[in-house]
Order: sequence, then C-alpha cells, then structure tokens
Amino acid sequence: MLALSRKKNEAIVINNNVEITVLEVKGEQVKLGISAPKEVPVYRKEVYVQIQEANKAANDISGLEALKGLL
Amino acid sequence: MIINTRLFNEVTVDEDKTIVFDCGIIGFPELQRFVLIHDEEKSDGGIRWLQSVEEPQFALPVIDPLAVKPDYNPQVEDEMLKRLGKFEEDDLLVLTTITVPSDITKMTINLKAPLVINSTTRKACQIIVEDYEIKFPIYEILKKNKKEGE
Repeated sequence: MLALSRKKNEAIVINNNVEITVLEVKGEQVKLGISAPKEVPVYRKEVYVQIQEANKAANDISGLEALKGLL
Repeated sequence: MIINTRLFNEVTVDEDKTIVFDCGIIGFPELQRFVLIHDEEKSDGGIRWLQSVEEPQFALPVIDPLAVKPDYNPQVEDEMLKRLGKFEEDDLLVLTTITVPSDITKMTINLKAPLVINSTTRKACQIIVEDYEIKFPIYEILKKNKKEGE
C-alpha cells in the first residue's frame, strides 16, 4: 500500500482520471472529495467488503445437496 | 473450449459465449471470464451457474430476480452501464447471486449487488444499488413457485 500524507486541500491523482482531495479535517474525521469518470464506481469500503463477503458466501455451496431436494 | 468446473466436471462451451467482467466480480477483480451454465436434465427452479473460466472452484448460483421478486426495480445510473457497450433495454440480462447455507430454509439472493450482462457484447459488471437488501430470503417463494408449477 502506498502511504502519502496530505494536508487539507491537497490531492492525489490516480491513473490519469481519478482525483481524491482532502476537503476537510475535523478531529478524527476526514472529508474526501472524489472526482472520477461517472462509469468508475466508488464505494465506501464497508459496503464493498459486505458485497465481497456475500459473493464468497454465494460461492460456498454447502447447502447444494439439500437444495436439489427442494427442486 | 473445454473448461473444468467444480460441479459439472469438464464442460464444453463456445468461446464466444464467454461473459467478460472487465472489472471482475466485486471483491474478486482478477476473475473476469465466466460462462453461464445450467443443468439441462434436472428441474432447477431457474437456477443457473456463473462459472469462472479462470478458476474452476469459483461458480456462483444465480437466478433472475424477477422470478422471486417481480417488482424488483433498482435505480441505476446509465453511466454505470457505459462500460457494457451499446445496448437496447432487452439486451440486458440481470441476475442475482444465491446464497445457499446448509440450512436451505435460510437461502437468500443478493438484491443489493446484481450482475448485469449485455447479451449483445457479452460484457458484464456487478453493480451496487440502493434500497435493496443483500440477503433477500427466497426459500418460501421458491417452494411456492414449485408448487404452482406442478
């Protein structure tokens, strides 16, 4: 992981088309502004991880035999 | 081409039926090429398998969400689907992943992160939508659908 220190109003440019700016720093909370092409999805990591876990769970087929019984 | 699969052993599929997720599946960015398989012999309640071409052990059971939630209508920005190439409304296939725990009465589908496939370009992506849950229970509905089909 690349670690960079930024002050308020400083920014980072990723891949020539994604820009992240530190908008505000209030105590423990940092407000980030993200500029990216509309087709680039941006997620809070907690949501991303939830979906990743859901995909992992879907790939786990412990109930498959029982499911065949239902259908 | 012949691919190895966890559930169906070796399967022959048309190379041009491969579905490409340029961004991968959420949480698995390296898995980009998939095929959609269903078991022709058995009655399967509309459940198909999104099988990874690159990783034989990775296969997601999927179903048309409208088969279990007819009013499913997530809001999606057009821009989010730009990466799928050009499409008409009817070209889009929307599928949701099914999670089947060992207690199958607790099986659910993920309405929050549907898979959207452009059937013309074969490009696909998994998008995250608002206002729907990750775990929508479908056991009772599947049971009911099966009864009504009999």
